[in-house]
Amino acid sequence: MTETNAPQKRSVPLWAQVTIWVVLVGLLALVGFGLNRASNPMAEIGKPVPDFDLVYFEGYEYNETKEMKLSDLQGKIVVINIWASWCKPCEQEAPDLEEAWQLYKDSDDVVFIGVDYVDTPEGAFGYLKKFGISFPNAPDLQSNISSILNRQMGVPETYLIDREGVLRQIKIGPFSSVAEIQAFIANAE
Amino acid sequence: MLAEFGFGVLLISFITTIYSGVAAFYGAQNKSGSLVESARRAQLLTFPLLSISAGVLIYMLVNSHFNVAFVYEVTSKSMPTYLKVTAWWGGQAGSLMFWAWLLAAFTSAVTLRKWDRDIEFLPWVIIVSAVTLTFFIGMNLFFENPFTRFWQINGQVIPSMFSPAAGAELFTPQDGNGLNPLLRHPGMVIHPPMLYLGFVSFVVPYAFAIAALITGRTDDRWTRITRRWTLWAWLFLSLGLVLGGRWAYDVLGWGGYWGWDPVEIAAFMPWLTGTAFLHSVMIQEKRGMLKQWNMVLIILTYALVIFGTFLTRSGVLSSVHAFANSPIGPFFMGYVALTLIVSVALLIKRWPELRGETEMKSLLSREALFLFNNLLFMGILIVCFWGVISPLASELFTNTKITVGPPYYERATGPLFAGLLFLMAVAPLSAWGHSTVQTLGKALWKSAAVAAVVTVLSAIFYTQNGYALLGFFLIALVISATTHEFWRGTNARMHVQKENFFTAIGRLMGRNKRRYGGYIIHISMALMAIGILGIEIFQMETQGTIASGESLDLADYRVEYRELASWDDRGAAVNYTRSVVDIYENGIYIGQLYPRIDYYYDSQQNMTIPGQHATLKDDLYILLVDWQPVSSEGATFKVYVNPLVNWLWIGSFTFLFGLIFAAWPDKDPADEPVRRKVSAGSRQTSAAD
Repeated sequence: MTETNAPQKRSVPLWAQVTIWVVLVGLLALVGFGLNRASNPMAEIGKPVPDFDLVYFEGYEYNETKEMKLSDLQGKIVVINIWASWCKPCEQEAPDLEEAWQLYKDSDDVVFIGVDYVDTPEGAFGYLKKFGISFPNAPDLQSNISSILNRQMGVPETYLIDREGVLRQIKIGPFSSVAEIQAFIANAE
Repeated sequence: MLAEFGFGVLLISFITTIYSGVAAFYGAQNKSGSLVESARRAQLLTFPLLSISAGVLIYMLVNSHFNVAFVYEVTSKSMPTYLKVTAWWGGQAGSLMFWAWLLAAFTSAVTLRKWDRDIEFLPWVIIVSAVTLTFFIGMNLFFENPFTRFWQINGQVIPSMFSPAAGAELFTPQDGNGLNPLLRHPGMVIHPPMLYLGFVSFVVPYAFAIAALITGRTDDRWTRITRRWTLWAWLFLSLGLVLGGRWAYDVLGWGGYWGWDPVEIAAFMPWLTGTAFLHSVMIQEKRGMLKQWNMVLIILTYALVIFGTFLTRSGVLSSVHAFANSPIGPFFMGYVALTLIVSVALLIKRWPELRGETEMKSLLSREALFLFNNLLFMGILIVCFWGVISPLASELFTNTKITVGPPYYERATGPLFAGLLFLMAVAPLSAWGHSTVQTLGKALWKSAAVAAVVTVLSAIFYTQNGYALLGFFLIALVISATTHEFWRGTNARMHVQKENFFTAIGRLMGRNKRRYGGYIIHISMALMAIGILGIEIFQMETQGTIASGESLDLADYRVEYRELASWDDRGAAVNYTRSVVDIYENGIYIGQLYPRIDYYYDSQQNMTIPGQHATLKDDLYILLVDWQPVSSEGATFKVYVNPLVNWLWIGSFTFLFGLIFAAWPDKDPADEPVRRKVSAGSRQTSAAD
């Protein structure tokens, strides 16, 4: 225990002070910006969903195209399911979603679109293969879709858009049966 | 009438709190002891006042006063009484009030201590407490009022505290919404209060730190006073996190305990800095170093508590835990900014006075290793912080929200956690001041040999996975090195004091509770790491639809479906669907499990209750996913085998024990508030006690 170096009374150098304040103010500004964003949701129930486009995963297509634009699907009921391969509750609903899709796919009136949220390609392909998902699926590149839809809680979430492109309903969390999915879709009528 | 009363008392407590802050400020400015005393008494009054207001709210919750919007939102007639009480923290308004109430309890308790040696801190501690409390009660009063009622006018129902217009009449719905069934789990009854307790109790060390910065009394007095508070705060926070994990494992129905959800991370970040603080504060006490760093850590911890709460409750981040979008955002933001700016300004002002008394001598000394530990904690913090903040940053700069998922966190923090385990084994063996490779090596080689043997055995009998083996090596190293420490101390006492083994180990631990409590915590962490490795690396799962008499195989287990029954419990408004499955391990019948799904009519939500067979080797975890309602012939099950996961819960228990042991009050009087009456000015009395 040797007492070396009597404390030197040197204050914090100016450049360090400036850096600290800039970082702090920057951080606060960033959060303020996020807060501002959060209070201006982009999609709301009862309002039209802003247009967006998607490129399907390798091996998926709908109406013989490999990409979609939301506005091209006007006149159809669109069910957008947001999922991720690391999301356990998603696995719970995946077989039901596929089963429900089989009921609708030939009617040409209802479209299911899976949107994979924050994932790795290997994880996503494994998941799609495991549950034999046949409805079109696309990665949510840069979380674009999630932010447009103002994704609320966590994956899974399912959005129901009616024939006029208006958001009608949001399901947070997994569906627990095919019947529940059918009842959900019936809300678009 | 009742609602008005509760609201009125809340308003009075708000005014009292403001008074106590203002009086303390003028008291400090004018060196007026009587003003400060008045402030102290006002501070003490806030707790009973808030208790009355809370009592009114709880009374209304229990007696189903659905006229009050909050009661309507979180309760329903069919809920049992205990859940109606705990529904208090089941929604935004109530849980903010719960925060305020806890805060008042803590700050009142701290003003009750004997202050004579530290009287100069008192007004500033009161001010910090009062500002915080004013803010929380203010949120209740102005933005999230739990006493808001429903009013009916022209066929419209409007929520408002007082009559919104002439002719408006009170409106009382028939039944309430009911608490989210996910929150009806016993774990949920304790998880949020523990977490809040942890959050709130960090106010106390923070208040003292700020008081020390303002008064310029920057010796280590503030850390000595708050040492035990910090330990308790850390205990509650840890307990809150562990209970949350257990709740997720039991209730969320996906065999996981931690999902790197932003809100989980928001609670984890103050835990990281708090843990770092608990370690580095010891260096300040022993060696007079790292004073600046400790200030930074405690301020950071408190800031993260507030910041995390803000992120969760303002709707800035999306998360499974998030409360619905709420109007408190800008107000809360202002408070976060105030806290950060004031703290940083004070810190910069006093920075030169916080310089250490000694310098680091050796890179292997205990203080150096503690510093490495702090760096690793900071590393994990940065990973977490970036993960939480990056969606905001990316949205600002690229106009798209990039959210990072669990893989990011796992990859980035994995090596850091491994480094922490290594330090946990090595640091307790190193000496204060000076250690060399030789001294450390000599202390460590036996434990390393034990760990190597364990690793080789695991490689032969259990797994060839390299990450798992590295993990097992580190875990075995921690456990053997720490146990060796216990043995060395006990052995020395047995020889020198001629005590038997039990007396020796009892006295050894009793004489230095913090140290040996800490070692128990280290061993617990290693045990928890076993569970985490098990579930992360070796989890197995399968899913299948099977008819009665058919079975699913996974690992050594066979799950055979027997039957299924579905019935209503009218009283509780729940429908139960319960399946019966036989379990075989390696072909031997070991029992029955009953995975089930509860459907809550009031909130129209399902809750999946797994069937669990838990052993030290693994956990068989069966979920009922679906069933054919007409014939009850087939059912879909999801089966997980989670190897070693129960070590996570065992470690949690020993962790709790170690922590209570470490935080248990000493007989040593020096750091205790003096309870005996001492005449003014007799400062030595307590030391001679």
